[in-house]
Amino acid sequence: MSFLSPLWLLGLAALAIPILIHLVQRERRNIVAFPSLMFVRKIPYKSVRRRRIHHWWLLLLRAVAIALIIMAFARPFVRRPVLALERGSGAREVVILLDRSYSMGFADRWERARAAAREAIGTLGTQDRGSLVLFGRGADLIVRSTSDVGSLRAGLETARVSPDVTRFPPAIKLAQTILKESQLPRREVVIISDFQRAGWERTDDLRLPEGVVLTPMRIGDGAAANVAVTGVSFQRAPFEGRERVTVTAAVANQGDEDRAVEAALEIDGRDVQKQRVTVGARASAAVTFAPFTLDKAHTRGTVRLPPDSLSRDDALHFALSPAEPVPVWIFSSEGAARDANLYLTRALAIGTTPAFDVRVASAATLPAFDVEAARARSAASHQSGAMILSDVAVPRGAVSERLKRFVENGGGLLVLTGGQGRFELEASPWLPARVGAPIDRVSTGAGTLGIVDYSHPVFELFKAPRSGDFSGTRFFRYRALTVTPDAQVLSRFDDGMPALIERKTGAGRVVLWGSTLDNDWNDLPLKPVFLPFVHRLVAHLAGYQPPASSMVVGQVIEVPSGDRRLVTPSGGQTAFAASERSRVVELSEQGFYEIRDRSGREATPQVVAVNVDVSESDLTPLDPEEMVAAITGSARSDRATSQRAAERLTPQEQERRQALWRYLLMAGLALLAAETMVSNRLSRPVATGRVEVPSA
Amino acid sequence: MDPIERHNPVPGARFVDPRVLAKVGSLELLARTVVDGFINGLHKAPYLGVSLDFAEHRGYTPGDDIRLIDWKVYGRTDRYYIKQFEADTNANFSVLLDVSRSMDFASHGLSKLDYSKFLAACLTYLAHRQRDRVGLVTFDREVVDRIPVSAKHFEVVLHALDRAKAGRPGHLLTALRALAEHFGRRGILVLISDLYEEPEAILDAVKPLRFRGNDLIVFHVLDPAELEFPFEEPSAFEDLESGDRVPVVPRALRAEYRQLVQQHIATLTAKFSEHRVDYALFDTGKPLDHALFSYLGTRQRLSRVR
Repeated sequence: MSFLSPLWLLGLAALAIPILIHLVQRERRNIVAFPSLMFVRKIPYKSVRRRRIHHWWLLLLRAVAIALIIMAFARPFVRRPVLALERGSGAREVVILLDRSYSMGFADRWERARAAAREAIGTLGTQDRGSLVLFGRGADLIVRSTSDVGSLRAGLETARVSPDVTRFPPAIKLAQTILKESQLPRREVVIISDFQRAGWERTDDLRLPEGVVLTPMRIGDGAAANVAVTGVSFQRAPFEGRERVTVTAAVANQGDEDRAVEAALEIDGRDVQKQRVTVGARASAAVTFAPFTLDKAHTRGTVRLPPDSLSRDDALHFALSPAEPVPVWIFSSEGAARDANLYLTRALAIGTTPAFDVRVASAATLPAFDVEAARARSAASHQSGAMILSDVAVPRGAVSERLKRFVENGGGLLVLTGGQGRFELEASPWLPARVGAPIDRVSTGAGTLGIVDYSHPVFELFKAPRSGDFSGTRFFRYRALTVTPDAQVLSRFDDGMPALIERKTGAGRVVLWGSTLDNDWNDLPLKPVFLPFVHRLVAHLAGYQPPASSMVVGQVIEVPSGDRRLVTPSGGQTAFAASERSRVVELSEQGFYEIRDRSGREATPQVVAVNVDVSESDLTPLDPEEMVAAITGSARSDRATSQRAAERLTPQEQERRQALWRYLLMAGLALLAAETMVSNRLSRPVATGRVEVPSA
Repeated sequence: MDPIERHNPVPGARFVDPRVLAKVGSLELLARTVVDGFINGLHKAPYLGVSLDFAEHRGYTPGDDIRLIDWKVYGRTDRYYIKQFEADTNANFSVLLDVSRSMDFASHGLSKLDYSKFLAACLTYLAHRQRDRVGLVTFDREVVDRIPVSAKHFEVVLHALDRAKAGRPGHLLTALRALAEHFGRRGILVLISDLYEEPEAILDAVKPLRFRGNDLIVFHVLDPAELEFPFEEPSAFEDLESGDRVPVVPRALRAEYRQLVQQHIATLTAKFSEHRVDYALFDTGKPLDHALFSYLGTRQRLSRVR
């Protein structure tokens, strides 16, 4: 017996109050002192007793009547499984959401999940309709609202665990859509999942329609020991003209016991090294392998642990290529001093990520300079490169057009001003500013950089406190600049004059620096910020992106232009014609994707390593009730009931069907009527008794 | 008229109610049996003799024995005085007053104990006036206070009456058995009690007093509430003596109760008359003077008949 509104039962306690008061008062008030009870005792005691009990019955009758009425208000009902008769009373629309994220591959979870799904399908009657949704990061509707149990079963049989992560919201959204379109009276959602906490974040608009029963079926058990490779980092060092790479992998233990595992490093499919590591409970450890020589592009590497219950996160793939230097061409004027670009070239000679391949040439060679040919000669064929015009006369005519094309194709152009160059906006309309006469700040004390746009990639490095200070730099001379409307000022001097201006042109950008980058017009090259500043500026201009060693399932790549074939880790092939516009591919498998030429015969195809999302390897469960409460707006306390709720009605429905309150109310009223009659009858002899007293 | 009325020197004197005496003053309490003592014309005395207990001097009147003239007093005063001795005049008159807890009950102003004190005081006054020797015994389950009989003890008796308080539960049998041995000389014994015992037990207790040849008068004092049981509300009734509580619905058992009380009184009347014990019921709701007058009147009539 349960109650729909049990708070009413508090009224029962109030019922006891008058009885208690009555009893207490009765005892306290009427005590009569009498000399001797000798004669009273001689009168048979029974008659006195019986009379009292008689009134107790009346009291009990009243109490029971009131209690019945109060219980009727509490809306009682009997919890019981719905009979087959009732099951047919309303057709159901059931949406089965089956989690197929790779954590479901843990031990026998997937088999149990499918068994649970089969059981849910088994509850469908002939009138009911069912939908099957498999979900990971996204949700796929496998079978849509059908009464054909066979197709649901078939859909279930073809389902496989994917390398995806768990995300509940898309699946619930999909269920929401299906249920909204349904005309059937009873609508239910069954979620079969291991309910990882990582997959659930509460959003307010995620709410199932009113009356929908959400049944979480949790697959999985408390102890989920799992060891995973969660990350890998590389340290590159040049060694005899080649690179040596030290691989460091992070191994995390999600279990409650320490684990000793043997981590293996595979390069191009061969086991290279093995390292033993002990990982503490709920902790992670780093494994550092001895460095290996990276001598060819698209080298495939894998850090692998011995397989455990959850095998997908036991391997982490990566693809490495030798670093490619960014080509930089510096053009300086004929009459410039020999060491005019000393600081710049020395600064760019340092560094590995990226390394810069710097060529210095005279401005006189600029008209004959062929960018494509120069790039082909350099080591990096994939980098756009950057050109620096160091205080030279900005070319005009065809050369200017060529520079513009270079920039539009993704190249970067840095224009440094100075005392000698001529910068005519009319001749080179891609310049970001009209350059005016030099401003001499020597006589008034040096100027400084007043405003720096730290949100720009060039200055982002210096954003944090104590990570580089431009305010100490003194600027003695700089050019007056008038900014063109579509240019962006990245930095200004303290008098408001622009110092660094960027203008995007096509895929590339032109940057104009109002002063020089030697210690002639300023002392910036003597400051510690000079080196990172120049590195960031040139890398930004060249559009340099550090190469990603691996990607995560669910990310997309763009296949480079040309006739290409994409080979997936499982061996599937997709061909891309040169004319094909949509070249974006979603990475859905774990392993190495290869992008080959049409012929497919090149020795080193481009390789993309794809890993599973390590957040899924954290098996910490979520309390399904929390999710149910958030989605349906009502928590269900009885878990056993909720698991079986697919076969049951909600308490409200049960109560409405049983309608016990009517009987209770009628019984209460009948008792009250009986009480009235009884008390009338009881009070009659009392009344006549009163008449007797004076006569006696 | 009366010295007691005027100075009121004794605390217990208030129990000697003039209104009662006004009514009963003309009557005499005579021993129906032969009592010890020299009572000139009042009580039948077993002995002719003179006591050595000096009582008082009295003026000589012709016919007095000239041997009784106190010549020493004549020598001082030149008048004839008769030297009187206590034994001359008296019977032993003792009041046995029950001061058990149950006596302390009052449904209206006067409790049974107070009523009994009035009764005892008035009788003692009567006896004292006719020169009987007076004494008092108060008891509950044992003797509480005992004033030996003496002609001079009237005021002592009044004092004792004044301080008598109802305290403990009573038990007639044990108390009276202890008393019986004190009444060696025959006299008048007045037992005042509410007699909450079974009739047989009461007789068992009283008989020893009677056997010594005493004239025993039993005054049964009851409150009107005890006779009528006029209670209305169902209540817990508490026994004053035992403290027991019994839930009672008075309406239901009033008739039976009255019947039982009347039966008890009837039984007592019958049993006492069998044993030549004088028995009278006093209802504290009725005026004492009226009750006492009717009792003494009846007793006198009966004496004359006998």
